[in-house]
Amino acid sequence: MTRFVESTITFPYRRSLGPMLSAFMTALTERRILGIRCGEAVLVPPMEWDPATGAALPLDLVEVGPAGTVQSWTWVPAPTEQHPVQRPFAFAFVLLDGATTPLLHAVDAGSAAAMADGMRVAPRWRGERVGRITDIACFVPGEQPELDGDDTGPAAQPVEIMDYNARITYRNPVPPSADRAVELSRQQRLVGMRCPQCERTYVGGRGYCPIDSIELGEEHEIDLAHTGTITNFVIITPVQYPGQTETEPFARVFVLIDDSDVVLAYQPTIELPVADVRVGRRVAAVWASPGEEIDAGGGMGVSLGALIGWMPTGEPDIADPDLVNRIF
Amino acid sequence: MIPCAVVGVGQTHHKSRRRDVSVGGLVREAVFRALDDAEMTMADIDAVVIGKAPDLFEGVMKPELYLSDALGAVGKPMFRVHTAGSVGGTTAIVAASHVQAGKHRRVLAVAYQKQSEGNAQFALGSGKGASLGAGGAFAPFIRAYIHRSGAPEHIGWKVAVKDRLNALKNPYAHLKIEDISIDKVKASPMMWDPIRFLESCPSSDGACAVVVTDEEGGRTAAAAGRQPAWILATSSRSEPPSFPGRDPVRPAACLQCADDVYRQAGITDPRRQLDMAELYVPFSWHEAIWLEAHRIAEPGEGWRMIDRGETELGGAFPINCSGGVLSSNPIGASGLLRFAEAANQVRGAAGEHQVDGCRTALAMAYGANSQYFSMWVVADRLHPFD
Repeated sequence: MTRFVESTITFPYRRSLGPMLSAFMTALTERRILGIRCGEAVLVPPMEWDPATGAALPLDLVEVGPAGTVQSWTWVPAPTEQHPVQRPFAFAFVLLDGATTPLLHAVDAGSAAAMADGMRVAPRWRGERVGRITDIACFVPGEQPELDGDDTGPAAQPVEIMDYNARITYRNPVPPSADRAVELSRQQRLVGMRCPQCERTYVGGRGYCPIDSIELGEEHEIDLAHTGTITNFVIITPVQYPGQTETEPFARVFVLIDDSDVVLAYQPTIELPVADVRVGRRVAAVWASPGEEIDAGGGMGVSLGALIGWMPTGEPDIADPDLVNRIF
Repeated sequence: MIPCAVVGVGQTHHKSRRRDVSVGGLVREAVFRALDDAEMTMADIDAVVIGKAPDLFEGVMKPELYLSDALGAVGKPMFRVHTAGSVGGTTAIVAASHVQAGKHRRVLAVAYQKQSEGNAQFALGSGKGASLGAGGAFAPFIRAYIHRSGAPEHIGWKVAVKDRLNALKNPYAHLKIEDISIDKVKASPMMWDPIRFLESCPSSDGACAVVVTDEEGGRTAAAAGRQPAWILATSSRSEPPSFPGRDPVRPAACLQCADDVYRQAGITDPRRQLDMAELYVPFSWHEAIWLEAHRIAEPGEGWRMIDRGETELGGAFPINCSGGVLSSNPIGASGLLRFAEAANQVRGAAGEHQVDGCRTALAMAYGANSQYFSMWVVADRLHPFD
């Protein structure tokens, strides 16, 4: 059974709308829907360019709707939290009066039986509008627009930026080789796999040699030492961004494992002040306590599992300045 | 292989934040400048190639779908390219390949990034905390270069000043630091030891576009008095991100890629046969690193060229006369900007930062963990070395 690891990424993006979409979004806060003239056509939602030729369109906006006609629709019997309506509803192409292209939006008609091509619908506006397409909560059967909640009025300023909180959850399979590396790390074993052809050793459950394109398995495993020497390093001044976990400068070191050709790149340090990080420094592996949460694999790179960083051994430095060339 | 040429180049004015335009609006600024330069319209284009860095930068998935009609690509072949930071260069190479193969006659290559919509550190850290950023990933490579070459620390400062002085001559450049000086660079904060703030590239919104056409198209432009940039060679190479013994200061993929474009172009002595180069230098020390990894300088000698002022505009071998990535960095477009600037140099169209008598130029872009490389060599004629 393949094990999966779930991870979620969130980020608050800031979209600049440009002059045309800005006008469209601003109008939505005024409970007006704008289209743009493109020759004989009126495009809704408006576009900055002629979709057929790419030619620039002058900012010739025209109000359409508010009511329109359903051209086509599909029923959504079991909405998720990501859907615009939280009970069964239809996604529909709504040709707003005065437009020549349909707007894709939700229709809250109660049941699929109430839906039909050619039916008339009107917008249900949100009381609180911010200049997004969801300012129209959905469309409802009939000619009369509705208002959902207390009307907070139009935007005080033109809407030029749209904040968008992206959230994505990935479910990544953990390859058997990475799974095993994590399991071995729980036993506080640092295991490499040696390529039978080039004799390079790879750690962290990389189940192949990228040089020889050979699959590596348990028969290629070798136990590695838990001590090594810092060959190179970087001190990072953290830049603040949403999701940043660091506030103070921190180090990442490159550790050449004793009696091997393995360099573990960009490793965290433990009980080693940033100012004391230097090439040649002797370090030893630090393992997570049993039960402590560890990197369980499934990321893009290798996983060292319960190996959580490196701390000084107190031994004298290795005096070989050329160590600095061992980055990988 | 069908000879091909660049006959149109366009770019945006690069800035920290282009809050006045949508992504589509930004890209179209570069596209229309390139089409105007080529005296073409969208209708003249047979195929479109678009490149940008990871979608996590702007949080727009598959932007090539959203941009197909913005680029006039309806009913035409359209291709998305992605090779991390080298993508702009690879985009130009893919466009050239379509012409060289005889599949299309006029291909538009477009690349962009709108960094202000997201955060590069966030995106490069795969959306997690403790992101190293590009500077954090590359600082160890630079430490190794400094160690093995014995270069003095002022070399990095010197490149940082040179590229910003060049940017003052480029109307499209993002950073315009009028009072740039060695002292100013030296006094700027240490970001990722040994890289200081002013030795680092900015974060930019911007786009670039070029029109690539076949031999007939190139000759037609030339006959009309519009000098084409003939594409003598293109190449791209990649290597795995890490393996024991990998040398990111002198990556095998970079050396192989350079050797390949030189062989195709008939170059045996790049220092003598090339007149300038636009190299992807996001951190000042990479100029020295790449001079050596492109065999323009012997190992350990790259920093001496810089120290002697040879890589300045007006020097014996100018590098990054546009101001380079150190002055403008819309990441996805940064590679294409190198390729476009090299083309403009051999077209005599580089304005105030033109290298006098430039006839041949190299452009290079690299990406990810110094593992993707893209290059082309352009010239003012098809057979400059005959």
